Amino acid sequence: MKKLRHIIILLLLFIFLCGCAETNILDQVGLTTLVGYDVGKEEEIATTAVIREVNPEFQSNVEVITTEDSTSKGNRMKSNRKLSKKIMVGQMRVILFGEELAKDDLHYYINTNLENASVSNSLYMAVVEGKTESLLKYEYKNIDDIGQHIYKLLEQNIKQEYTISPTLHEIAHDYYTTGKDIAMPILKRDGELVELNGIALFKDGKMVSTLPAKDSFYIKVVRDTFKVGIFETTLQEDDLPSTLLKSKEKVPVAFDAIQSKRDIKLVDASKTEFDLNIKMKARVLEIHKDINLGNPKKVAELEKAISKKLSKDVSRVIAQSQKVQSDVFGFGEKYRSTVRNSNLTKEKWHEMYKDIKVNVNVDFVIVRNGVFE
Amino acid sequence: MKFNLPFRKKKTPVEVPMPKENSERIAQSKDCFVQSIKDATNNPSDLIIKFLPPNLSLIYIDNLVDKQTLNNDIIANLQDKPNETPENIKDNLSIPEINVTSLLEEAIAALVNGSVVIHVDGFAQLIVANIASRESRSLSAPENESQVIGTQVGFNESLATNISLVRRYIVNPDLCIGKIKVGKRTNTSVTLLYMNGIASDQMVNTLRQRITELNVDALLDSAVLAEMIDDNSMSVFPQMLLTERPDRFCNSLLEGKLGIIVDGSSMAIICPQSFTEFFQSQEDQNLRWQIATFVRLLRLSAFFLSVYLTPIYVAALTFHYEVIPQAFLIPLSESRALVPFPPIFEALLLEFIIELLREAGARLPTKIGQTIGIVGGIVIGTAAVQAGITSNILLIIIALSALASFTSPSYMMGNAIRLIRFPIIILAGFWGFYGIMLAFCFILIHLLRQSSLGAPYMSPLYPPRMRGMLDSVIRMPIPLTARRPAMTRPSNREKFDPEPVKPEES
Amino acid sequence: MKNPIQVSPPNMINAYLLFFVIHSAQIGVGIQGFQRIIYKDAGHDAWISVLLAGIATHIVAFCMIKTLEIYGSNDLYGIQQDIFGKWIGNFLNIIYITYCFVAFLSVLRNYIEVIQAWIFPSIGPWFLSATLLILTIYAFTGGLRVIVGVSFFSIILSLWIFPMLIFPMKFSTVDSLLPILETNISSILKGAQSMTFTIIGFEILNIIYPFIKDKKNVSKYTHIGLLATTIIYLAVMLVSITYYSEGKLLKTIWATLTLFSFISFPFMERFEFVAVCVWMLIILPNLCLYLWAAYRGTLRLVNISSTKFVWIFSILIFTASLLIQTRTQINTINTYFGKVAFYIIFVYPIVLFFIAILKKKFIAKKEHKNEKA
Repeated sequence: MKKLRHIIILLLLFIFLCGCAETNILDQVGLTTLVGYDVGKEEEIATTAVIREVNPEFQSNVEVITTEDSTSKGNRMKSNRKLSKKIMVGQMRVILFGEELAKDDLHYYINTNLENASVSNSLYMAVVEGKTESLLKYEYKNIDDIGQHIYKLLEQNIKQEYTISPTLHEIAHDYYTTGKDIAMPILKRDGELVELNGIALFKDGKMVSTLPAKDSFYIKVVRDTFKVGIFETTLQEDDLPSTLLKSKEKVPVAFDAIQSKRDIKLVDASKTEFDLNIKMKARVLEIHKDINLGNPKKVAELEKAISKKLSKDVSRVIAQSQKVQSDVFGFGEKYRSTVRNSNLTKEKWHEMYKDIKVNVNVDFVIVRNGVFE
Repeated sequence: MKFNLPFRKKKTPVEVPMPKENSERIAQSKDCFVQSIKDATNNPSDLIIKFLPPNLSLIYIDNLVDKQTLNNDIIANLQDKPNETPENIKDNLSIPEINVTSLLEEAIAALVNGSVVIHVDGFAQLIVANIASRESRSLSAPENESQVIGTQVGFNESLATNISLVRRYIVNPDLCIGKIKVGKRTNTSVTLLYMNGIASDQMVNTLRQRITELNVDALLDSAVLAEMIDDNSMSVFPQMLLTERPDRFCNSLLEGKLGIIVDGSSMAIICPQSFTEFFQSQEDQNLRWQIATFVRLLRLSAFFLSVYLTPIYVAALTFHYEVIPQAFLIPLSESRALVPFPPIFEALLLEFIIELLREAGARLPTKIGQTIGIVGGIVIGTAAVQAGITSNILLIIIALSALASFTSPSYMMGNAIRLIRFPIIILAGFWGFYGIMLAFCFILIHLLRQSSLGAPYMSPLYPPRMRGMLDSVIRMPIPLTARRPAMTRPSNREKFDPEPVKPEES
Repeated sequence: MKNPIQVSPPNMINAYLLFFVIHSAQIGVGIQGFQRIIYKDAGHDAWISVLLAGIATHIVAFCMIKTLEIYGSNDLYGIQQDIFGKWIGNFLNIIYITYCFVAFLSVLRNYIEVIQAWIFPSIGPWFLSATLLILTIYAFTGGLRVIVGVSFFSIILSLWIFPMLIFPMKFSTVDSLLPILETNISSILKGAQSMTFTIIGFEILNIIYPFIKDKKNVSKYTHIGLLATTIIYLAVMLVSITYYSEGKLLKTIWATLTLFSFISFPFMERFEFVAVCVWMLIILPNLCLYLWAAYRGTLRLVNISSTKFVWIFSILIFTASLLIQTRTQINTINTYFGKVAFYIIFVYPIVLFFIAILKKKFIAKKEHKNEKA
């Protein structure tokens, strides 16, 4: 028995000594916070990585490194050759795509990042107008860590519901759904700042169209629900009934604390006609003309006017997406879930999408308007 | 696998050689008798022999007997009486504990225990009168188990005083007290206490058997006895509670547990004791039940914090940096940038320093203790951070876990918590979260296997008893805790008839 | 009836602990990635397959309990020896022991694969399997009480994982479930059959039956345990279908674990690292129970001490786990094991039940004839 015990102890020691795992000690890794992909020469991928290193001598250093290789891991190897720390992607927050690359096909990038277990599913993806390299390599006066800055920019805008939420999970979810296409926000450098410039519409992983930033509200209202959003629109002259305002002028109105609910119904399967009902409740923040909001009749008319304007704008946005065959709203998904044995595929739906008819119906309710009337 | 221990607890009784019937009789003549006593006791310098004319000899050991009783009750009564038989003398002396014996062995044993031996010349019998007086510390507040509210009296080293304290709390004839002598050379008195009618007879017999089967040289302290009669001496977790408080002791007796008090030791043993009960304090009964529940949960979470916080830090920093939240990452990595060691080494070094401080603080004389404590704590800590040996975040974490380990009311359990942290840090440093999970599962299985005097150690969590859980990790109001815990297998389950929490509107 | 097992009352366990034993024996490695396999067969009606599989387990457990009740206090090995005679009975016992062996091996190897894929790609599988075996040996040598205690704590300490499903529900789209019953019945049934590997484990009831104190409560607690498992699997499947889109679900290997990657707390992000490690606590009772079942069977054939048995068993498992190296091999083992297990666990007990009833009637008739004559 004693000998057996000795053998067991030796075995345990052996296990301890040999079973070591690979360490990734925090201050010996360079953390990649942001990666930008561009089209390189000769069908290679150019990656620009924003890497934060921690050094004992001075404050943490942020490096922006550009390399070119045929795969993203090859690029990582090349970048590793330029740094003193091991590059890890576990804390990557944002992935940016150059415009040219986005027009090509993003399917490959979505897949690679899903496969990598150390990449989080909640990282943001966005398209950059032009090349990511120029956006990232520019020496901003006030921005220290461009990776962190872009991440925070996207994060707070999404939280405030100014733009759609382009996390890796949601984009992959939409990509793999038959009957829905992906959409991503567009970034642009504006002087010393980085700006959210609009929304890119995709068809099957290829970017086909862009919409200005103001229209991101309409896309979000159809795709999602609002909880705290804020928006401003201008009521045109012909929208307003004369009972509301004597002179025919434009009335800019801003409202916030928007709570919206949307409902898509397939009315007619053969004619692919959808009913889109949007119910919105909001608080009117600013209204430029002297419209007395204390008068309930005037309030009702104002609501109607705003509803009409919103329906018009939503229809316009949907029509534009139909033109490029990019169904970012999910009408196809609704079709598939209502019609039995539809056997819908992405190509089939893209064909059918340009011919669908959508009846937009916005129901806007002014809940309150502040403390001064 | 069971390791063979020197002290056999459940096996066949050790062959104790039967003491030879000591046939040595008592010499009848005075001088022979005195000589035989001197030989048997190796002629110590504190052996006093007093001759009372005409034929009486008084032998006793100085400083063990009560001089006043000796003078007033014995010598005074014997001085003017004519020589009588030992029986007569025995009846005349006004001492409560007095015996006649004819065995030299017994007389010697009583002599070293504080009796006075009276020899009548010409008779072969002796009178043994027990007038022992022990010096002991006066009753004071318990040193290691202090409470904010509650009684402030603790056991002291005298067995008689301790038993009297217990009797003060449990004024009931059902309190059974049995005496056993342990230790060949020390002959220490060990008393076994339990409530007749509540405690399980089987447990009493098991415990008594374990103590009587001990074949040891000496027994000096109750903690040593606890280790010797434990279920598993190899485990780092204590299976019997050591307490200095009489109210804790009596509360456990009333729940059906068995208590052991050892002469010369101020710690009493309580068994069986389950794991969750090591985190209970008598003060919980004195506080309101919501506060008591909160405090108990605090202690239990302090246990987990103390054991797992440093390993999680080590594992996260060495392997799983993705787990660290974004906002925390920069200060953490900047504070670690100065440190030349890997996190595991840094953590072990710092833990070692804290243990050094603790051990040194326990041994220091009180005059120096305060200063060194402050020096050690603050100066070394700050200097270490600035010299770059450690990061300040780790310092906070380790100080927090050291603090958390002291919240356990039982000193033994606190030690166990401090010790198991080290292997877990090593496991975390080599195998990250997987190593921490391995350690957790290992400790869990170990606790499940453990038993305390035959009762499961994880009771009332496992085997799950709903009623028992109401007074373990939480404390429910008194009417809900009207039953005794099942682990002691009490003969009498109900403590009292539970009334509604709020009295009826009358 | 021959070979009843008499167990002394201190070694018996209460019936309500059977709930924890059955529930923890079922939930193991299958739950980590079962969604994909069922979705392949049944499409978005996979949750109906889950429900059907759950109902099937109830039926089979009912038959098992009735068979065991006929024999009083005996386990499956004794019943087989009694019904089929010594030689065929022992042969069937050996098949059952091999089944336990392969089940243990597959649970172990799958878990090692998960750890290697998610956390430690570079660590050797021998180390992981050695440490898990040491834990299992330590639990086994404590006796049945410790094993049941491990299952009890495994359920209690992993209860907090289940409410985590609320986090992915934020992103769920109910449309993915519609239209209901689009797939045909045979695919749904096929999906239910591929659920075998995930839902088995309750056959431990056969072996543990003699050790239960109050046998009349056995059926109540068994069915509650099976119900709890079915509810958990159903909930996970529903959340997975609505959270992932079809394409994504088909490609995600360990769907349940990826669900956790979205959860983040203020003190900890990337929760899946913790979840994967906590899974060790969930598979530990599976391993212990299979080992114990194999030991009970071997005890009937050869009188072997438990320590010797456990060391031989562990060495065999250790070598076998080293031989399986690639993921394709693991997948093959899983599929074949699932197929064989279907017959052993779902078909065989019903057959056995009928044979036992026939035998009982036959013996009763013979005794009646003997009495008359």
